[in-house]
Amino acid sequence: MKPNVQTVMMRSFERILTDIAPHLSSEYAVGSSSVIGLMMFQTATEFERAADIRVEENAAMRKIFSGAVGILPTGDLRFRVEQAASSSDPSLKISELDRANDELTGLLIEIQAHAETVEGLEARDLETQIWDELARAATARRLPHPITG
Amino acid sequence: MEEIAQKAAVYLAHKNLAGSDFEVTDLSRIHGGASRETYRFRARWTEGGERKERALILRRDPESSLIETARDVEFNAYRAFYPTGVPVPEPLYLETDEKWLERPFFIMEQVENCQAASPFGPDPYGPLADIIGEQFWRHLGTIAGQDPAAIGFAAASDYPALDTCWKVALDYWEGEIDGDALCPQPIAKGAIRWLRRNPPPPPKKIAVVHGDYRTGNFLYDDEGELKTILDWEMCHLGDPLEDIAWAADPLWAFNDPRPGSMIDRDKALAIWSEHSGIEIDPVALRWWEVFSAVKGLAIWISAGKEYEAGNNVDPIMAFSSWYCTDVHNRQLVGWMPDLIKAEGRS
Repeated sequence: MKPNVQTVMMRSFERILTDIAPHLSSEYAVGSSSVIGLMMFQTATEFERAADIRVEENAAMRKIFSGAVGILPTGDLRFRVEQAASSSDPSLKISELDRANDELTGLLIEIQAHAETVEGLEARDLETQIWDELARAATARRLPHPITG
Repeated sequence: MEEIAQKAAVYLAHKNLAGSDFEVTDLSRIHGGASRETYRFRARWTEGGERKERALILRRDPESSLIETARDVEFNAYRAFYPTGVPVPEPLYLETDEKWLERPFFIMEQVENCQAASPFGPDPYGPLADIIGEQFWRHLGTIAGQDPAAIGFAAASDYPALDTCWKVALDYWEGEIDGDALCPQPIAKGAIRWLRRNPPPPPKKIAVVHGDYRTGNFLYDDEGELKTILDWEMCHLGDPLEDIAWAADPLWAFNDPRPGSMIDRDKALAIWSEHSGIEIDPVALRWWEVFSAVKGLAIWISAGKEYEAGNNVDPIMAFSSWYCTDVHNRQLVGWMPDLIKAEGRS
């Protein structure tokens, strides 16, 4: 698909902000079209990186699960964590990566909440690992702004 | 628009028996205000043989809202604060009968010749930042300093206990996250668990909390006079520090260290204390700052759900779910590791 999606989104964003919004007479239409343009700007970035972000997050969570098994008591949670640690992404489609990401993230919340109730260095280390990964992922998902980049 | 104008004119005639020949002109929808459809218009009518005119605002319930609150909360707040000197528009009519405009609405004074600033750009107030900032924090202090019962607000709102008002607020917003999240929210949930493990000291008093006091929710004129405070739909009784934390949330300052891109934080808090008569407990304020990011996430998550479901397809709903969620998530992951370390759990 050429021109590529990023180029089309960026050009459309510029077009809306410079040529379309200023010529609309309704305040509501100006505001709404500007917001739509801004989201096109952000979509340009997201389209390029979306699969990469999800694959990396999913891999990072599976790695955390592998290391977390030791502090989990035998039972359902431990079984599900072991299963998730050895799982893989079904494809590179965003919808399927999102589905896997949601399942892994739900489990991450469970083991984080569990670790908070457990005493000992291993549990504290696990908490730190999880917050480090959440911070890394949140930074990677940072949406660009036309002013700050 | 024409249909709304005609129906609004009929309604105004119904409410103003002394007047006749009502007409509504120049009706236009205002951008923003995702919790209500907001329209400005001019009403003209004949009364005592004279033709009269007034600029008004119509706030109508949308089919789905960014913030699920009853419109009477906002209207009652205007009614309570209008006589106090806190700048708010004069509230005129609250109407819950859907026969007039399909959905409930209220009508209030339109404060003209002023503007609101966007929090999503740098330095929105420019050289007026100091003068506006002083008023912004002074008015917030004045709001917190009011006796809710004396101004007639308490009767319209639940009165939480001093030691549980944090929990009432947190339970509500966690419920919104759990009910509306389109995907798991590990950052919000981790922050919520920290909030529950580390409850704040109780406030000295229960105060009126505006609930959405920030850059963008007040109007000012070209000289920097803060003319009116808007968007009281999340107004409630609670810990007054909730409003400080929300007003000072970094989301509203676009990378500017000054809260709301106005005046320095220390100066802002000193002005607030002077006018509220309340000393700020820094430990409690830190709790409410973390809470504010969680509350923000709840609002943006709900906006995303409503947009995805097609209940409210205003693009601001999608934008707030994308951009504001991103900002608040990054804010919390920046704060939480130090807060968790400070707990000193073994």
